Amino acid sequence: MFVCNKIYDVVVIGGGHAGCEAALAAAKLGAQTLLLTQNLDTIAQMSCNPSIGGIAKGQIVREIDALGGAMGRVTDHAALHYHMLNTGKGPAVHSPRVQCDKKVYQFTFKHFLELQPNLDIMQDEAVCISTSDHGVDGVLTLRDTFYKTKSVILTTGTFLGGTIHIGTVMTPGGRYNDMPSNLLSKNLSKELGLHLMRFKTGTPMRINARGLDYSKFRLQPSDNPLQPISHFTDEHEQQKRKFLSCYITHTTLETDKILRENFQRSAMYGGNIHSMGPRYCPSVEDKIKKFPEVTSHPLFLEPEGAHTEEYYIQGFSTSMPEDVQRALIASVPGMENASITRMGYAVEYDCANPMDLYPHLESKIVPGLFCAGQINGTTGYEEAGGQGIMAGINAALKVQAKEPFVLRRDEAYIGVLIDDLVTKGVNEPYRMFTSRAEYRILLRNDNADLRLMPHAFNLGMLEDIYKPAFEKYRTLCETLKANPKAPVTDEPDLFPWSVEKAQRHADIHRKYEGYYERNKKDAEKLAEIDAIKIPEGFDPSTVRGILFESSVKLREVKPQTLGQASRIPGVTPSDIQLLAVHIERFRRLKNAKKTA
Amino acid sequence: MQSTICALASGQGGAVALVRLSGPRALDLLKSLTHKDGAFAPRQQVFCTIYDGGNILDKALVTYFQAPHSFTGEDVVEFAVHGSSYITGRLLELLCQAGATPAQRGEFSQRAFLNGKMDLVEAQGLCDLIAAGNKSAHQLAMHSLDGKLSARLNEMKTKLAELLAQIEVRLDDVDEEMQPLSPDFIRQEISAVLTHIQTLTDTFSVGRLIKDGLKVAIVGAPNSGKSSLLNALVGFDRAIVTDICGTTRDTVEETLEVNGQKIILTDTAGIRAHALDVAEQEGMRRSLRAMEQADVILFVLDAARPLSAEEKQLWNDIEKAHKRTLVILNKCDKPGAVSTVDLPHIADYKQLSVSCKKNIGLDEIKTILTAPMNNAPTDGLMLSNLRHYEALLRAQTELESTLIRLKNHAGGEIQAEHLRGALKYLKDLLGEITPDDILGIIFSKFCMGK
Repeated sequence: MFVCNKIYDVVVIGGGHAGCEAALAAAKLGAQTLLLTQNLDTIAQMSCNPSIGGIAKGQIVREIDALGGAMGRVTDHAALHYHMLNTGKGPAVHSPRVQCDKKVYQFTFKHFLELQPNLDIMQDEAVCISTSDHGVDGVLTLRDTFYKTKSVILTTGTFLGGTIHIGTVMTPGGRYNDMPSNLLSKNLSKELGLHLMRFKTGTPMRINARGLDYSKFRLQPSDNPLQPISHFTDEHEQQKRKFLSCYITHTTLETDKILRENFQRSAMYGGNIHSMGPRYCPSVEDKIKKFPEVTSHPLFLEPEGAHTEEYYIQGFSTSMPEDVQRALIASVPGMENASITRMGYAVEYDCANPMDLYPHLESKIVPGLFCAGQINGTTGYEEAGGQGIMAGINAALKVQAKEPFVLRRDEAYIGVLIDDLVTKGVNEPYRMFTSRAEYRILLRNDNADLRLMPHAFNLGMLEDIYKPAFEKYRTLCETLKANPKAPVTDEPDLFPWSVEKAQRHADIHRKYEGYYERNKKDAEKLAEIDAIKIPEGFDPSTVRGILFESSVKLREVKPQTLGQASRIPGVTPSDIQLLAVHIERFRRLKNAKKTA
Repeated sequence: MQSTICALASGQGGAVALVRLSGPRALDLLKSLTHKDGAFAPRQQVFCTIYDGGNILDKALVTYFQAPHSFTGEDVVEFAVHGSSYITGRLLELLCQAGATPAQRGEFSQRAFLNGKMDLVEAQGLCDLIAAGNKSAHQLAMHSLDGKLSARLNEMKTKLAELLAQIEVRLDDVDEEMQPLSPDFIRQEISAVLTHIQTLTDTFSVGRLIKDGLKVAIVGAPNSGKSSLLNALVGFDRAIVTDICGTTRDTVEETLEVNGQKIILTDTAGIRAHALDVAEQEGMRRSLRAMEQADVILFVLDAARPLSAEEKQLWNDIEKAHKRTLVILNKCDKPGAVSTVDLPHIADYKQLSVSCKKNIGLDEIKTILTAPMNNAPTDGLMLSNLRHYEALLRAQTELESTLIRLKNHAGGEIQAEHLRGALKYLKDLLGEITPDDILGIIFSKFCMGK
């Protein structure tokens, strides 16, 4: 065994969307960080669809960006096509989505990582996390190298015990042709005592554009004008770039018939897969089974890159055997003569119960161990990235003996996401929707910077050079909110913000003013009880008078604040009242002891 | 900011009831209900008129306690009002309409404790109280509400949750393929729920009568037969008679049950122009108060005797009370008894010929008294709890706002804000509905792409 003589603050295991953000964030906050990945050439790989953003997901990307993360900037760099979703609806639900060149995306991200001070990147596979009485103390790799570290962030994606399914053919893999991480999975469940669950997700086939009949598709051109997804991208420069189009077609009755005749041959329905798949983002066989009355489902052709003819077929995710997949493609208008380049498949993987995590994403079971991304039962690059940046920040803060950084539900979709995960747990892959946010009117695409950048500056996640421009922008927004006709002039030192952005924001704010205030008021009430911490040594589940069901739930979740306790399904308002009194009583008794 | 809470702080049924209001808006609400702009000096009892819109609800002794020198440590107002369930109920309703919320069980004490107004020993008692409330509230949710009312509330909740899901699924539709919901459909769904809410809230006054009992004051001149009427009415069903004696100089209260409905009869001292002594004066004062507190007044006259000046004066007072009133022409078996009397506006009132001795007309009195309580809807759905009533009124406001916004072409995200609000209030009555419930409906009913 080779023992690396450097002692790391943070070791990130996994170089996907969560791991990359986590590594960048930890290093940015000054933590000596190591990113371990099995394969440097698949770092930040977009394993499924070639787009970043989407409804509620686009807002998360904006939030990551405002917190100083890289996802938004990398996306704009790799952008092939912009589409603002929901523009037919109110601006509170406008959500940016960007088609990306997959290769450009991953290499750009790799470059970002390489340039980041305090961050080492190493191609190797973690197989064992070593612990002492105080928690995590090192990571052992497949090459038998030992890295000493004060904390570990697990961002294993679909690689823990990953199994690929195409029809009845099963192969080990975290992604097609990429080896799974089986030793680490055993280590986590057998030695560290994490509660692992098994989830499933899938991806559609890719086809060659040669042979497509575009006359049968509906064209979806890139937005013009466009809005970059990163706050730091120059809107007008970005506008000058060339963009590609996407295309829309539909499944047919023939597609339907093929699927029905072959249900038993799919991995999902043939009996090979027993784990929970997502209700949303379902496979096409799922859709036919659950919604037999819908005879035509939309399919979206999305380019995989600028230097390839491959298209991703959004909506055609499947685990059918190869012959069926070929027949399915031939049944779609415009694709009759298309050839498949890669088969669709389902992947099963281990994830860990997120209810075993504190809201700052550290494990309650193993101190110093943080988890982010699919290992927490989520799906989606954006959800992964959002957790990644939070885990990275919190691992660094922990090593520096600082207070954890937790976002509230009224501050960010990321706050909603993590609070849901750690408070309610998951029984299927979790994806974000705007309907999950009670404060939807507050959590908008246009105000992510105003919501989160103050935090980012405080933490040191954003460089101070942006501060004067941000403050100027904030003042400008306030002025315009109060008086839309206030005389304003564009100033060069406002960049990357602009008067135009401020006007856009102020217009939207005014549209929602009454609702904004109402949401804010509700949120303040929440903040009030969220500020009541459940003191160390106080076990809420033992409080007399609490309903039995509630005390079971309280024991399971171990809420950190009274607010978190109140969001546990089944806990009643009376339970919370009772807890409030007992917490106060506990505090006073303790103080009384101290003075005595 | 803390909410301002209100509740009946004394028991129900005494001559005086105490309604307590606590929170940052307490003084504002006091001023708005008493139409007084001037300052209320802390800890000084003030005799005020409490208004119900343009009408007078009651005259009460009101005390304002300024934070932190109060029971809860917040601004507190205590209303000492006349102990009728109508007055206390209506006062709480008015406070809630003005922005207060009904207090949870033990909430005043909880605030007192959290604001350092209570010590640890007292806190244990408080915890017991909340715990008991927790159990009974839970039982209420599990059992009492488990009848037709909860079925109806659930039906409304489901309808709203499904409508909300239809709106939410469109907000979260990544494929951008779904047709927008037609405003007519939304309107129709909301109106259906609004009708249910209206039907339920309409039962509230009746529901409360059934829960608290119908208060009946028997008034009249001395020797018109008030006590014998009370005895006759109560004695008819001896089993539930608890106490019959009492001095005619004081009011005597008796409870009887008619077809399962509770009636609280109050026999009053006879009213005459020149009371003999202080005790009788006090008795008469109480008689007048009993009248104010009553839901129904029985004005008893001796049908065989001409109307006296006192009786004419009393009739004046009765009319001013604006209460449901029955004119009882007692002793109708006596020779020369009349079947109508001549009093101002008498045509607006029901006159009944009664003989306590010969048991004539007694059943009719009971039937007439309990009639409004029998007006309860035949499906048995009834609201008697102020918290439930308040929650429904708030849900109603949210739904009406949705309809108004819909008229102004507001988008789905705005409709959803109000529907979420309405659901939140129904949730108060029925246990949690979380965004997950909505997602559950979305995924079971709609095919969503990615």
